[in-house]
Amino acid sequence: MNIKNAKKRIDNIEDVLATVAAGDLEARIQSDIEDDFSGIEAAIDLLIDDLTDELKNRKKIQNELEEKLKKIQEQQKTIVQQQEDLMELSSPVTKVWDNILILPVIGTLDSQRTQIMMENLLHKIVETGCTISILDITGVPTVDTQVANHLLKTVSSARLLGAECIISGISPAIAQTIVHLGIDLSSIKTKATLQDAMIYAMKQKERVAPGHKSDLLYLDDEVE
Amino acid sequence: MLQEKRIPIIKIGDYLIVSIQVDMHDKLAIQLQSQILESIEKTGAKGVLIDISVLEMVDSFIGRMLSGMASMAAIMDAAVVIVGMQPAVAITLVELGLEMPGVDTALNMEKGIEMLNRRIRQINE
Repeated sequence: MNIKNAKKRIDNIEDVLATVAAGDLEARIQSDIEDDFSGIEAAIDLLIDDLTDELKNRKKIQNELEEKLKKIQEQQKTIVQQQEDLMELSSPVTKVWDNILILPVIGTLDSQRTQIMMENLLHKIVETGCTISILDITGVPTVDTQVANHLLKTVSSARLLGAECIISGISPAIAQTIVHLGIDLSSIKTKATLQDAMIYAMKQKERVAPGHKSDLLYLDDEVE
Repeated sequence: MLQEKRIPIIKIGDYLIVSIQVDMHDKLAIQLQSQILESIEKTGAKGVLIDISVLEMVDSFIGRMLSGMASMAAIMDAAVVIVGMQPAVAITLVELGLEMPGVDTALNMEKGIEMLNRRIRQINE
C-alpha cells in the first residue's frame, strides 16, 4: 500500500468527523491526493453530504408538522368554543307568563346537553318562583332511553323543588319509540302541542291561585 | 351538645314551621324526626312546613328521613310540605333514586302555606 502522509491525513479525517459531529455540516475532507486512501476520504465526504441532505429534509418536515399541529389545535379550540356557545344558546328558559316558564328544546339531545338544560331550568325556577314549567320537545327528532331518562329526571327534580313540569310536543315517532322502549311516562303530564300545554298551565295557575283572578280572565272564554 | 343544636319548631296557627339552618347529620335528623312528631301530637297541628333552603347538601339518609317523616305525619293527620329545595339538592336526590313521590314540595314558604291552606280547605269541603 502506498499512502502518503498517512498520519496527517488520518488526523485530518478525525478533525473533520469531529467538526461534523459537533454540528458543522459544512466541513469536508477534500483531499487532492490520488492514492489508495483517497477513495475512503471521498466516501466519507459523500456520507457527510447525504447526512446534510437528510437533516435538512427532516428539519423541513418537522416544521411542516408543527405548523399543521398548530392549525389543528386552533381548530380544536374553535370547536370547543362553538360547542359551549351552542350549549348556551340551545337551552333558553323563558318566563312567558306570570308563573309559567317555557323551555323549548331544538335539535338532538345528549346526556351533556340535557344535564345543562336541567340545571338551567331548575335555577330559573328558583330564580323566578314560577311553579309551572313547560318542556317543549317539538324540535327534537329522536329520543332514546338515556334522553327519556334525563327528561324523567328533570321532571322529578322540578317536582322536588315544588314546581310542576309539563312535556309537550311529543311527535308520533317519539311516542312510538318511547312505548317500544318500555319507558313509563305515565307519571308525567304530557300535552300534544305547546298550545295545549299553555292552556293547561293557565288553568292550573288559576286553580293554584284562586285568590287573584288576574289578567287571564279574557283568555278563559277562548279556552273553555 | 345535642341540646345546643336543637332545631326550633315554631307553631303558627294550625301549622308547624321547621327551618333547618344548620348542616344536618344523621343523629340530628333522627332527633328532629321524633321532635316534629311529638310536636304534632302536642299541638294538634294540621300541617308541617320544613324549610331546607339553606341546606347545601342532602344525602340519602336525610332524604329517606324526610320522606319517612311525611308518611308518619300523614298517619297522624298532618300534611308535610318541604319548602325551598336547592336545584343541586333536587338533582342529587333524583340521581340517588329518591324521588320522594309521597312528599309535597313548594318553592318557598309562602307557596307552601298556600298549598297547605288549599289542602285543608279541600278536606273540609
